[in-house]
Amino acid sequence: MRPSMRVLHPSLRDRVIDESMDVLARLGVQVEDPGARQRLEAIGLRADPTTHRIQIPRTLVEQALVTAPSSVTLHDREGRPAAVVGGDEVHFVPASSALRVLDRHTQQVRDPNSADFVEYVKLGHGLPNLSYLSTAFIPKDVPQDIADAWRLYLVAAHSTRPIVSGAFTAWGVPRMGQIMAMFRSGRDDLAARPMALFTVCPNTPLRWGEDPIANLMDCAEWGIPVEIVPVLLLGMISPATTVGALVLHTAEVLSGLTIAQLVRPGTPIVFGGAPASFHMQLMSNPMTAVEALQLYCAYAEVAKHLGLPSQAYMALSDSKFNDPQAGMETGVGAFLAALAGINSVSGPGMLDYVNCFSLEKLVFDDEVVAHARRFIRPVEVREDLPAGPLLEELIRDKHLLMSDHTLAHWPEELYLPGPMVDRTNWDQWEGQGSRTWRDRALDQIDEILGRYEEAPLPDALHAEIRGLISRTGLEPGAALPMLGGVR
Amino acid sequence: MIDYAEMNQLLFEGQHEALKRMTEEALAAGRPPTEVLEEGLIAGMAVVGEDFKHNRIYVPEVLLAARAMKAGMAVLQPLLTSRPGGAGSAGVIVMGTVKGDLHDIGKNLVGMMAEGSGFTVVDLGTDTSAEQYIEAVRRHDARILGMSALLTTTMIYMRTVVQAMKAAGLEHVKICVGGAPVSADYARQIGADGYAADAASAVELFRRLIAERPAAAEAGPA
Repeated sequence: MRPSMRVLHPSLRDRVIDESMDVLARLGVQVEDPGARQRLEAIGLRADPTTHRIQIPRTLVEQALVTAPSSVTLHDREGRPAAVVGGDEVHFVPASSALRVLDRHTQQVRDPNSADFVEYVKLGHGLPNLSYLSTAFIPKDVPQDIADAWRLYLVAAHSTRPIVSGAFTAWGVPRMGQIMAMFRSGRDDLAARPMALFTVCPNTPLRWGEDPIANLMDCAEWGIPVEIVPVLLLGMISPATTVGALVLHTAEVLSGLTIAQLVRPGTPIVFGGAPASFHMQLMSNPMTAVEALQLYCAYAEVAKHLGLPSQAYMALSDSKFNDPQAGMETGVGAFLAALAGINSVSGPGMLDYVNCFSLEKLVFDDEVVAHARRFIRPVEVREDLPAGPLLEELIRDKHLLMSDHTLAHWPEELYLPGPMVDRTNWDQWEGQGSRTWRDRALDQIDEILGRYEEAPLPDALHAEIRGLISRTGLEPGAALPMLGGVR
Repeated sequence: MIDYAEMNQLLFEGQHEALKRMTEEALAAGRPPTEVLEEGLIAGMAVVGEDFKHNRIYVPEVLLAARAMKAGMAVLQPLLTSRPGGAGSAGVIVMGTVKGDLHDIGKNLVGMMAEGSGFTVVDLGTDTSAEQYIEAVRRHDARILGMSALLTTTMIYMRTVVQAMKAAGLEHVKICVGGAPVSADYARQIGADGYAADAASAVELFRRLIAERPAAAEAGPA
C-alpha cells in the first residue's frame, strides 16, 4: 500500500462535485472575447448575449469526463515515453513562470536573461529527481511577445526532457505547436507523443479571458495536453472556506475540461491548480498558506475520484530567500503533495510568490523531492516477517551490520541523501571545511554544469525554429540572442 | 603460484572463509608470512579504506572485509609473533565503555574496524572501571587505550581513567576517547591523546598515534 492521506469525507467530496456541476449549469462561465465566443458557439456552447455567460449543462460535463483520458504520457524530445502523469505517479517539476532570478553569485534579485535560462535548463537536466523541466522563468533579453516560444526552444535545445510550458499571448499556442511538431513527424505524431504539458489559467471567478480560452482551444486542436490551473485567492476572489473554494475550483477546471473535450474529444486534461490565500492584513497571496495547502490536497481527491490526472503548485516557497521559511514551505508542500498523490507537482526552485527562481533552491529542492518520493514508497514485507529469526540474529550478534538481510535490503531501505543534506557530526563537518548549505549548493551547481553534455540538435532544425520565432515576433533587423550550443 | 590479487578481491568481498583458506595455501606454498600479510591482506584492506573514503562502499562492506582480514590474520599471527600485538599486528588496543555506561554500539564498531585494519583489539565491554582498564593495558602490553561514553553523566569518568593511568605509570600508552557527547576539546581538557568523531577516523587516529611514538616495551624499560 502506498502511503497516502485524505482530507475529505467521500460524501462531502461527492457533494462538492455535484455542486460544481450545478454551478456550471446555473451560473456558467463568462467569456468576454467575441472571437472566443464564436469559436465556442461553433462547438455548441452559446453565450448569453448580455452577460456573455455560457451555461454548461451537466450532461455535457459528464460526457466530457468520459472522453477525457485518465492519464497522459509525456514524451521526451526524441519521442520516447518519459513520464506517465496519472494514476499513483508523483512527479516533480520546477515551478514556472518567475519574472526574476536570485543571482547565486551576488544574492541579488535581478531580471533574468537567456544565458541564465540555458544555465537553468542544463542544471535541471542533470538533477535526478525531477521528472521533466518547465519554462521556469522569463528571459528579458528577447521581446516578450516571443518569450514563450523562445523559452520552449531553449529547453528543447539543451535538454531532451519533456516540458511544462504555456503561451503568453492569445495566438501563442499554434507557434509553439509548430515548433514542437518539428520534433515529430507532424501534428498527429505530436498529439500521439506529446513533448509538453501546457498550463492554462482560467480567470477566477468563473471567467475565461481572451488569452486562456484561446490557448485552451488551440491546445485541444493541436492535441497538446493541458493543465488547467485556477488561481483562487481565498477570501478575496473565492470563498474563504475550503468547501466553497473547492466547489469554485472544481467548476472552473470542469468548464475548461468540457470545452477542450468538445473541441477534440480525448484531449488530455490535467486537473491543476495554484490557489493561494488572501492575507487579510498585507494583501499578499501566499500559495503556501496552510489553508491553501488543504485546498490543494482536497482538489486532488476530487481529481482522483473523477479519474483525472492532477497537478499542483506545491513544493515551493513564498519566502524571498532560501531561509528556514523556504525550507519549511517547500518540504511541507512536497510531502503533502506526495501523500495526496498529486501527479505533477510544480514547485522546485521557486521563491517569492512564484516571482523569483533560484538555482541553489532547485538543487536543494531536488533533494526534498527525493525525500518525499522515498516517503510514499509502499511499505512492504522484505524478508522481515516473521521477524523472529532476524531478531534472534540481532540478539546473538549484537548488531545486524553484516547480516545477509541488511546487506540485501539496506541500499534500498536506508536512503543516503546527497550533499544538500548534512548528516555529518560537528567534528566531521569542521573537518570537511565547515561548509554551509550554500557552499555545498554552489559546488553542486558547478559540478552538474561541469558534467553537462549537450545532445545537439541538427543545425537545420535550429535554423528552422529560430526562423519561425524571428518571423513571428521580431522587429525587422532585430536578432535573437546567440547562445552556447545554438548555432 | 599464489595470486595476491585474488586474495585482495576475496578480502574486498568479505569472503572470510575463502580468504582464510587462501592464506593457508599461501603459507603451504612456502610464501613468507610477512609477504602474505603485506600483499595478500594489507594491500586489499587499503583498497577497502580508499573505497569507503570515496563513498564507493559502505559500513557493512567494510565490516565484512574487516572480518575477512581478521580470519586471514588468525592464520598468520602465530607465525609472525609469539604474542599478540607484536610483528604482524598494528598494535594492541584495549577498549571499553566507561563505568556506569552500558552503551557499546559505537565502541563495537570502532573495535571491528580496528581489527579489520590489523590491530589486536581487547574489548572489555561496558561499565569498565579504571582498575579494569589498567589491568588489561598491563596484561596485553597495549599501546592504545580507547574509552567510549554515550552520556554526559558518564563521560566525566574518562578524566578519572586518564589520571589513574598516569598514577599507574602508564603515560606512554596513548588514550583515545569517543562517543556522542565527547569532543576534541573535551579530549584535550581531560588530557587524552586523541579523539575521533567516527569509527573510520578512529582507526586513522590509532595509526597516527602508533606511528608517532613506539610503545614503552619496544622503546626500552618503562
